[in-house]
Amino acid sequence: MWTGYIKAAIASLRTSRWRTTLTMLGIVIGVSSVVTIVSLGEGLKSQVLGQINRLGPDVITIRPGKLVSGPDGNSFNLLALLSTSALSDNDVATLKKLGSLQTVLPVNFVTSSAASTEAELNNISVIGTGPQLPQTLGLSTNLGDFFDDRAANEKVAIIGPDVAAKLYSIINPIGHTVAVAGQDFIVRGVLNPSSTGLLVAAQTDFNSAVLIPYEPSKEIVGGKTNLLQILIQPGPNVSPDQAIKDAHATLLKTHEGVEDFTILKQHQLLKLVNGVINSATTFIGSIAAISLLVGGVGIMNIMLASVSERTREIGIRKAVGATNRQILVQFFSEGLVLSSLGGFLGILAALLVNVAFRLYTSLDPVINWTVISLAIVITIGIGIIFSTAPALKAARKHPIDALRA
Amino acid sequence: MALIELREVSKLFGFGDATTLALDEANLSVEKGEFVAIMGPSGCGKTTLMNIIGLLDSPTHGEYLLAGKPAAGLKSNQQAKLRRDQIGFVFQFYNLIPTMNVLENTALPLAYRGMTPVRRMKRASDILERVGIREREYYMPKHLSGGQIQRAAIARALINSPSILIADEPTGNLDSHDSKVVMELLADLHRQGNTILMVTHNPELTRYASRVIYMKDGTVVEEEETDIGDIAQGALLTYLRRRKTTPMDVVAGVSALMKDVPDKALKDLPKKSRKVKTTRRRRTAKRKVRR
Repeated sequence: MWTGYIKAAIASLRTSRWRTTLTMLGIVIGVSSVVTIVSLGEGLKSQVLGQINRLGPDVITIRPGKLVSGPDGNSFNLLALLSTSALSDNDVATLKKLGSLQTVLPVNFVTSSAASTEAELNNISVIGTGPQLPQTLGLSTNLGDFFDDRAANEKVAIIGPDVAAKLYSIINPIGHTVAVAGQDFIVRGVLNPSSTGLLVAAQTDFNSAVLIPYEPSKEIVGGKTNLLQILIQPGPNVSPDQAIKDAHATLLKTHEGVEDFTILKQHQLLKLVNGVINSATTFIGSIAAISLLVGGVGIMNIMLASVSERTREIGIRKAVGATNRQILVQFFSEGLVLSSLGGFLGILAALLVNVAFRLYTSLDPVINWTVISLAIVITIGIGIIFSTAPALKAARKHPIDALRA
Repeated sequence: MALIELREVSKLFGFGDATTLALDEANLSVEKGEFVAIMGPSGCGKTTLMNIIGLLDSPTHGEYLLAGKPAAGLKSNQQAKLRRDQIGFVFQFYNLIPTMNVLENTALPLAYRGMTPVRRMKRASDILERVGIREREYYMPKHLSGGQIQRAAIARALINSPSILIADEPTGNLDSHDSKVVMELLADLHRQGNTILMVTHNPELTRYASRVIYMKDGTVVEEEETDIGDIAQGALLTYLRRRKTTPMDVVAGVSALMKDVPDKALKDLPKKSRKVKTTRRRRTAKRKVRR
C-alpha cells in the first residue's frame, strides 16, 4: 500500500520540479552541514586520539592552566585553554633536575611566521623544543637529521614538508636558511609528512611547523617563553604515578602552592581531548541543525501551499471515495518523500565535501554509519513532524467545500 | 423498497441574517433502475439535492435513506466508502485531475479500494473501451475535447459499478454533438439497469428520462412520468415556450426564469396526455389524512 502512496507522491512532486528542488535544498543544506561538522569532529578526534596513542603509555603531559577539576577530575574547564601559559623556563629547569624523570621536553611556541629568501609564511608554528622530540612523538625525518644534544644551542631548524614546499622551490632545502623573528636558522632536516591535523597532542601541525632548539627559541624573543606544554617521561624503574607525584610536588613548590597547571597521563589526555572535541562538535553541530529546522519549516510552508492549491483535487479524490485517512497518508507521504530525498542528497553532498576536505586540507573527516543513520533518522523525523499539519489540513477538508474551491 | 428516499430534507447555508434555505423539506423517492431528470430554475436547490444524495454534503434536517438505511448521519469514512462503492459522479465541469492521464483518472476510485495498479489499469482500460475513448487513454485531460473528457468522467463514475449514477448537468459544457454522445452513453447505462439521476436545463434531454422532477425554491413541486423518447410535457411547455418577464415581474424583482415551473402549463394540457403526480397534492392529501 505504501509503495503506491510513495509512487503517487513522487509523481505529484515531479509535476512542480522547481518548487520541489528548492524545498529540498533547505534539507540538503541542513543535512550536509550537520553531517560534515559531525564528521569533521569525528575525524579530528580520531586524528588526535591516534596521536595521543602513539605517544606511548609512559609519556606524561604538563599543560598550563587548571584544565580538570572535581573530585574525580571529570570536570573539564574549557576556558582554562585560553589562559596565558603559567609554565616557565624555571619549571623546565627544575623538572630537569628531578632524578625520577628521564625526559623533560618543553614545547615552546615562538611565533607564527618564517621566511626564506624567496617566500614568507605567516600561518605556521615555530616551536622551540628539545632533541628528544622525534622519539617521544614518533616523528621521523625525510631529509637530513633532527638536531641532537650537541646542537642544542645552535641556530638550526627542522622544517615540516609543507613549509619546505612553500618556502623553497628546490627539492632539497638542507643547508638553506630560514628566518625566524629576524634571525637566520640553517635548515638541518625535513620531517616526513604526518597525518596530523590542526589539533594534535602537541597542539601543532608538524607538516606546517619549524622546529628549533629550545635555548635559541628563548633568545630570539628576549628570553621569554610561551610553553604550550612540557612532555615528561619517568626514568627506568620509576612508575608514571611516582613521576607525576614528584613533578606535581616540584611544580607546586615553584608556583608557590598555586596549582595553575595540569599533569595528565595518556588516558586523561585522551579523555580531555575527547571532551573538548565533543563539546565543540555538539556546539557547532547544534548551530548547523538550525538550518535543518529551517528546511523543515520550508517543507511545511510548501506543503500548506500545495494543500491550498490542490483543494479541488482533494475534493475530487473524496468525491470518488477517498477516506480522510487516505488523503492524510497521501500528503504525509509527499512530505516524507520530500524530506527523505533531501536527506539522501544531503548525505551525498556531505560525502563530496568530505572528499574535498581530504583533497585540499590536512583535515581527515570521518563519515561513519552512526552519522549517516543519525542523518536518516533526523530527516525522516523532520518529514513526519512538518508534514503532519498540512496532511491533517488536507484530510479534514469537507468534500463539497473542497470541490467548490 | 426505494433505492433513494429523502424525507423532508432541508439544507441551510450560512448563519444569522445571511442564512439561505437551499432545500426546504424536499421529499423524493427513486426506485432502482429509474432515470430521473431534475429540472428547475437556477438556485432552486438541484445541485444541493444531488450533493446530499451523493453524500458529498449532509442535510441540516430530514432523513436520507440509501437502500433503506440511514445514510446522512454516517461517519465521514463510512460515507466515503459508500461514495466509492455505490455512487458514481459526473460533474458539469468534468473534475478530472489535470496532472493525471485519462487512464489514471479513470482508475482513481479503484486505488482507494486497494486494488493493485496492474488490475486497476486493466479495468480502467476496459471501461474506457466501453465509453469509446480507449485510444485516448494515455492523453492528458487538456488534450481532449469536452465530450471526450466527459466520457472519461463517466468511465470514472462507472468503474466501481455503482448502483447510482449522479450527473449534474453532464452536457452543460458540451456542444450538441458531444451532448448527444454523452446522453446516448447514459441511456445505454440506463438500459443496462443503472439508476441515474441527472440535473439538466435542457428539455430535450428529458427524452432519455423515465421520470422528470421539477424543483422550485428548494422543494420538489412537480413530478412527471414520461415515456423514453418523449420530451416531458412540463419541460416542453415551460422551457421551450419561454415566458417573457412582465413589467409586474420587474416590479416584484423576479424574472421569468425564476418562475420556470410547469404547474400552470401542465394544468392547461388536455387530460388524456397528462401523466402527472403532483407532490404538493400528495402532501395536501397526507395532511388531510392526519387531520
